[in-house]
Amino acid sequence: MSISSERSSTLVDRFRDTAVGKAMFRSPSRVTPRDRAAGHWSNFFLHLYPVKMRRKEISFRYSYYLGIISAVLFGSLIVSGIYLMFFYVPSPGQAYANIQTLQTDVSLGQYMRNVHRWSAHLMVLAVAAHMAKMFYRGAYKPPREFNWVIGVILLVLTLLLSFTGYLLPWDQLAFWAVTVGSEMAAFVPLIGGRVQELLLGGPVVNSATLLRFYVLHVAVLPSIMVAVLMIHLWRWRKDSMLDAAREEGDD
Amino acid sequence: MTDESEVKVSLADEPATIGSKRVLGIVPGKPIAGERKEPAKKDMVMVWPHLLVRHAVAALGALITVLVVSVFFDAPLREIANPELTPNPEKAPWYFAALQELLSHFHPMVAGILVPGGIVAGLIALPFLDRNPSLATKSRKVAVTAFTTFMVVWIILTLIGFAFRGPNWGWVWPWNEWHGEL
Repeated sequence: MSISSERSSTLVDRFRDTAVGKAMFRSPSRVTPRDRAAGHWSNFFLHLYPVKMRRKEISFRYSYYLGIISAVLFGSLIVSGIYLMFFYVPSPGQAYANIQTLQTDVSLGQYMRNVHRWSAHLMVLAVAAHMAKMFYRGAYKPPREFNWVIGVILLVLTLLLSFTGYLLPWDQLAFWAVTVGSEMAAFVPLIGGRVQELLLGGPVVNSATLLRFYVLHVAVLPSIMVAVLMIHLWRWRKDSMLDAAREEGDD
Repeated sequence: MTDESEVKVSLADEPATIGSKRVLGIVPGKPIAGERKEPAKKDMVMVWPHLLVRHAVAALGALITVLVVSVFFDAPLREIANPELTPNPEKAPWYFAALQELLSHFHPMVAGILVPGGIVAGLIALPFLDRNPSLATKSRKVAVTAFTTFMVVWIILTLIGFAFRGPNWGWVWPWNEWHGEL
């Protein structure tokens, strides 16, 4: 066939036809829409996406693409954050000096720190803007009520990640911002003092606080974030298909 | 047989074949199984490439923005933390600036617990409180007005706390003296 010979002239399609390619992709060469749908379903990286969407759902004004922008900033934070972890020890005696060394003596140290900082601020903005856009679109209404709830949890996680990271440079800005922020916890009725002590590991910000915030920032909160984000995306796909089916009268 | 019935049931002299089946006749009208909804296929598009290309552009746009901003602006690093020396003003991160501003007017129980707790609880409860199924802004006046009011108040409070507060949390004009910290 002329179409298939034309298609298989691309490098990717020729690779797909080899024994290794067939084992990896397990899908027919992309000739008909059905083939392409099958290829989509069998691709791990595409499985969070639906195969088809309503035309209006892919337009800029439907979402301003704020969800994918938030996700990409999160990815940038993971990459730059892992780089920073190689040069950082969460103890009051070393943290600040580590940051200074990072900025002066480590290749790309200052740059990676900048990327991490600005990605974090932009992510808070992007997630908040995403929520506002979803509100004005009415995207919290059935069948998406629960995905909105998951989204609110993701917003809170974003703020907690940003706040725990704020302490880590152990400079005056970090120390006093976290002091101000955590003083509020003391006013939780009945258990306020306990909450503050649990958070700080003492009555004031100290070395235990730095270690706690570090563990929360690099292990606990990112893991929860990734897990909840996967649920958010999975439900986005399911709800999108549900909505399309209801509107289009699919069998 | 009337003329009308001859129009409805037409027998072919030479039966046509579709696939492996012979077509003996075509009966006009609705199917026996009743009316079937026709999917409006035209409105559906394949996610690859239509959405993925758009997502790739948005993602690269965000990434390039961060990578370029990071070339020109360095992340701040002040002096080493000193528990003995409280800076004036003491500022929370910018996304808590609205709460800090409220804290200067209300009891910490209100500004630090009731307001943030109420906002999160309200957002979580929103889909179950607003049962109006309409998506059009015109028919959602109450929800849209309430949310917009909240957003505007919150953004103003954030700006005040971030840029318009100086020593002892007194009012300053950001173009005269700058106390915002990122």
